[in-house]
Formats: sequence, C-alpha cells, structure tokens
Amino acid sequence: MRPKWEVITLIVLVFAALGLAGCSRPKPVVAPEVAPPAAESGMPATTTPSGEAVQVQKEPTVTTAQIPESGVGASELPTSVEELNKAGFVKDVFFDTNRADLRDDAREILAGNAAWLNAHNSVKILVEGHCDERNTEEYNLALGWKRSNAVKSYLSSLGVDAGRIDTISYGEGRPIATGHDEGSWWQNRRARFVVVAR
Amino acid sequence: MKAHHVLALALLPTLASAQEVYLKVTTPGLQRVMMGIPRPGGPAAGLPGVAEFDATLRTDLAHTAVIAVVADDRAGMVEVDARDAKLTRQRWRSVGAQFFLELSPSAAGDRFTVEARLWDLVTGEITFSRRLAGTSALAATVAHTLANELVRTFTGRPGPFLSRIAFASDRSGARELWLMRWDGSEPQQLTNHKSIALGPAFSPDGQWLAFTSYLRGKPQLFALRPTQGYIKPISTLPGVNSSPSFSPDGRRVVFAAGDDGNTDIYVTDTTGSTPERLTVARAIETQPTWSPNGRQIAFTSTMSGSPQLYVMDAEGTNVRRLTTTDVFADEASWAPDGVRLAYTTMVEQRFQVAILDLRDGSRTVVGGPGNNESPTFSPDGTSLAFVSNRTGSKQIFVTGPDGVPLQITRAGNNTGPSWVAQVQ
Repeated sequence: MRPKWEVITLIVLVFAALGLAGCSRPKPVVAPEVAPPAAESGMPATTTPSGEAVQVQKEPTVTTAQIPESGVGASELPTSVEELNKAGFVKDVFFDTNRADLRDDAREILAGNAAWLNAHNSVKILVEGHCDERNTEEYNLALGWKRSNAVKSYLSSLGVDAGRIDTISYGEGRPIATGHDEGSWWQNRRARFVVVAR
Repeated sequence: MKAHHVLALALLPTLASAQEVYLKVTTPGLQRVMMGIPRPGGPAAGLPGVAEFDATLRTDLAHTAVIAVVADDRAGMVEVDARDAKLTRQRWRSVGAQFFLELSPSAAGDRFTVEARLWDLVTGEITFSRRLAGTSALAATVAHTLANELVRTFTGRPGPFLSRIAFASDRSGARELWLMRWDGSEPQQLTNHKSIALGPAFSPDGQWLAFTSYLRGKPQLFALRPTQGYIKPISTLPGVNSSPSFSPDGRRVVFAAGDDGNTDIYVTDTTGSTPERLTVARAIETQPTWSPNGRQIAFTSTMSGSPQLYVMDAEGTNVRRLTTTDVFADEASWAPDGVRLAYTTMVEQRFQVAILDLRDGSRTVVGGPGNNESPTFSPDGTSLAFVSNRTGSKQIFVTGPDGVPLQITRAGNNTGPSWVAQVQ
C-alpha cells in the first residue's frame, strides 16, 4: 500500500510547508500536483475523514507515478478476469514429491508474481494446491493445503497483502496431467494461480 | 512372515474330519465346517430369483471364516436317490460334507420363498430351519439373510452379508458418494452435487455418513442421512475440513482441519457446535480414526518428517508414535477388536495394506499387485475392503477369510470405502 502512504506523507509535508513557511524542509517533487485537492478540504491531513482520504488515494498523479516501478502499466491490464488468466501474469510453481517447501525456482517465480501483484493492487488471486496421484487421497488434501499456504505466506513476505490471496486445496482431485508416471506427476505437484478479481 | 488371522486361512486345511467338534468354532479361526449345498435342479431351477439366490449364497459363504461349501466337482459325485432323501444326505458325507443344506425354493406371483433346513450329517438331525420370503427382486437379500443366519449358527454372531460399503466414485462423471452391498451388488448413488465428494465415514449405527465435499467451493464436512436423503454441515472451518471419523456413540466426529497451512486434528459434535482442536504440532496431522472403545484416536502426522501413524487419548493428550519401520504410514483403520489397525504403508515405492498388532507391535504387510490403499475392516472384523489400481483404474476389493481378493467395483474410479453393518 505504498501509494497511499506516499500520498499521506505528501499531504502532511504540504501542510507542514504551508503552516511553517520558511522552514528548511525540502519540498517534495510532486507536491504541487497532489496538494491542491487536499488543501481545498481545509482540514489538517491527520484528521481528514476517511471518505476524503479515499478521494486522495484516487489522485491520478500518484497512480501514474507507480507505473515505471512495475514495468507493466495499469492500462495494459486485460479488461476481464478470464483474459487476465489467459495472459498468465502470475505463474504456477512446482514442488518436489511429498514436499510443500518452496524450491529455488519456485521462489524466483513467486518473486516475479509478487512484483506484478504489488503493481496491481486491485487484483485478487486464488492459489490452488495440487498433488500427484501418489499418496493417499486425504493426505494429499492436507499436502495441497500446505502447498497453497506456503505460497501465500511467501507472497505475503514479499509485500502482497494476505487479504488478496485466497487458498484452496484440491489434493489429487483435479489433476492437470492425467498420466500415471513422473511425466504427469511433476505437473500435478503444483500451486496453480487463478485471478479471481481484477 | 507372521501369518495374519484374516488372510492366512486359505493355507489351512478346510476338510475337517467327521469327529470334529464343529460347534466349538466360535471365533473366526482354524477350521471351517464343510457344507454340502446342491445346485438348484428340477422345475425350481427356472423360477425367477433362484439363480441369483444360489449365486449370492455361494459368494457369501465363500467369504466366511467358518463355512466351506463342498466344491462342484465333488458335489457332482453325489448320487441323488429320489425315493430316499436320508440316503442322499448321507452320501454327502462321502464327499466330505459335515452339514447338508436342504433348500426348497418356490415362487407364487412375485413372491419368492425359500425353505432352508440345515442337516447335521453326524447326528442326522436338523440344526437349523427357516422359511425366508420376499419379492423375487429381493432374492439376493434373501440369500444374504440366510448366509448371515448360517454364520450365526456356528459363531453366535450373524455374518456380515447384509452390510454395505459407502465409497466415492467418478462413474457418473463427477465425484459423488455411492453405496453398495459388501459384494458390490445393488450400487446406489447417494449424492448428485456435481462437485467433489470424498472420504465417506459411517456412524457406527449406520444412520449418518460424514464426508468431505466441495459443494460450497471449499472442502467442508457434511453428514448425509442415506435413508432420508438430506445433508447437514458438520464443519465449515476456513481452509480444509476432511477425514471425518465418528465416535463409537455416534455423537462426535473427529476430523482434520486447518487454516494456517497445517492441518490439525479437531473434534466436534454432530449438532454443529464449535470444533475443538486436539493437536498443535507444526506438521500435517490428518486421517484421525476413533478407536472402537472410544478412548483413543489414531491419526497420521508428519511431525517426524514422513507421514507416520500416531495414537493419542481422545482428549488429545498422551501422543505416541505407532509406526517406526515404515517409510510411509497413513489411513489407519481400527479392527472392531480394537487391537489391530489396518493402514497404508509403502513397500518398494508401492502402496500396500498392512496390519499393525497393537499388542506386540508386529506388522504384517498384505501384499498385492499395483498400489493398494485405504483399508477398512468389515463390521465383523473378518474381512478388509481396500482400493487397488491393479486393473489400471482405482477399484475396491474385498479380501475375505479365504485370502482371495474379490473385485467389487468396475465402473470408473472408486475410492474411500467405509463399511457398516447396517444402514438405518
């Protein structure tokens, strides 16, 4: 939620600048673009009612300021959840047999997913835990649950709000590949990402 | 390898001498009495229901620990004297029979009736006689009832042939709950949710079937009343709810749940109270199963690294590890005697059913082709049902006292058997 904090910080700084003219604090670069609507409210930022704070959050200047950091513009987001899922911005990760801890390649993929999610704060995702057909059915339900939650907790450690990540385990119940050898099994030991809200 | 009670019987001699004190065979065990049962003959053979009755009775009796039926090749040597029934009965002794089951089927309209007399060939007296009747559509049920009564004659307890097995099957397209007889006959679809249903578990009285369902999108626990066709939620905790097992009094359900990534064991009552958590380890705990006396709960935990079986007191205290030599152990299922656990182990990268004897810690692997898992004891403790992929798909098999597995499902994939004496 960095944008919000930046806005609030800026507002505070602007009021500080207005209230304490001649102070030696450096002026924020984008202050003029943010300050007017907040200043028009005529209230100190710290006591701004939440309704107005939301209004401030919607300030277009701040949103566009975030674009260069992510590399993917908000305007490039597909218009529907279905298309978002097809585009594959968040990538699935795979697990070793019987394990729910994250491999290095999984962490790398998740870091990319986290960066994208951090740049698109409105997107909500479901992480599905899947298992191969080996192990018993209900043990796999528990293992898939552990896998999906390992992913959630890692994303969360990378700054993605846990409230945006839902998890579910399908165990071995919904295999992606239906063969009975490692060629299928590795594909099914997966945390699958589904975008549920844009 | 230590011989196991249930499965080693095929190796034992089944032909007992006429002097055997057969009525002392009160526990499934060492000797089976030889029973002569003539194949249906004459006009009665063509009556509706007779063929089904005969086949069902023979399948049932082949799966008892106390009765062996004289094989057809020897039975065929018995010369029937149409004028002297007593002489004919005595001729069955020469082919090894100790008992002779005289069956007189008749049909009137849709009514199917069987008069059964069990003759003790040593004393020459009738040990047992019954008249059983039903519609001809119920011929198999009549046979199961008779088989149960015959077993009761020798053990004091009825046989398991009216029992039913609940299971999950994808034969209709989606994974639904189904119910069948112990031999796979009379399959009935119990749910039509077009979601994912798995892991059914009967209450001991056969009134309720608890199971996991994705009916509302997430795996939650429900209980189904098979005879009345309605369901109610048991646990809808966030995350996973799975692996239900009823307490012996049917009032509580122990299950696996967790919303922090690790499933733990919880217990709740069936009226929808707040579940109570029994385990706290930061590992996967799942597949709890209540012991027959209600005092203990066996479960699977990965607290040592791999899945292993543990047992704890029903209050969640006094946790002990049960399996130590398995690379994998899961899906514990208590025998009704409370001293044996069937479970799924791994041998040479394949799942196999094993029996753990809690009295001495000995472990017997019941090997078979393919992967074999999800064992559950029959209500009388003489048989095991399990799931095997030996045919290429997941099918349910029943291993009886003769040690020969009987495949009881064929359509689709079938998993998670739960066996109950009677559905109420």
